[in-house]
Amino acid sequence: MASFRAFLNSPVGPKTTHFWGPVANWGFVVAGLVDMQKPPEMISGNMTAAMCIYSALFMRFAWMVQPRNYLLLACHASNESVQLYQLSRWATAQGYLSQKKDKASSQ
Amino acid sequence: MAASKFQAFWNHPAGPNTIHFWAPLFKWGITIANLADLSKPPEEISYPQQSALTINGLIWARYSSVITPKNWTLLSSSLGMASICTYQLARKLEHEFSSKYEADAIE
Repeated sequence: MASFRAFLNSPVGPKTTHFWGPVANWGFVVAGLVDMQKPPEMISGNMTAAMCIYSALFMRFAWMVQPRNYLLLACHASNESVQLYQLSRWATAQGYLSQKKDKASSQ
Repeated sequence: MAASKFQAFWNHPAGPNTIHFWAPLFKWGITIANLADLSKPPEEISYPQQSALTINGLIWARYSSVITPKNWTLLSSSLGMASICTYQLARKLEHEFSSKYEADAIE
């Protein structure tokens, strides 16, 4: 109980923006997971590609920042996976990843 | 004199040789991707994604103005992202509500 109260009142605790910043980042990870259930026609190629680059850069940022921020790293690593998967779903729906089908039809 | 100022910028610990420069700068990429998506039909806008990014932008705008040192790139890119995502949400909401009115009027 005492340690929980210490956490609540800490200078990087839930009463400060230092807490909610990294927590807010998990929001788009959850949004990505929810969007995985939707049909691929609804995926935006622009946004998904931008998110892939964004999370790759911020994984490096979280590693290099002082002090090293493992929570931010985990968040962007998760987002990177989700966005890469969404990008592959989008590319498949657009016909960019249909090489096997083309080979079969040309034979 | 210009050369030494440029060198001071180039060799800065948060300068263009480091991730501390490029990661926040690339956050503008998400805003630009969303701007490109303004031409897409509102049916394709994702409520979870746009809401998560709006909240994320607002929280990080606050965060970047209270950390030491203040990160103006992160502040501007977060505010830009929050604005465009709010606009996308407004587009989708307006489309959803106006479609419902039209459907009701036809019946």
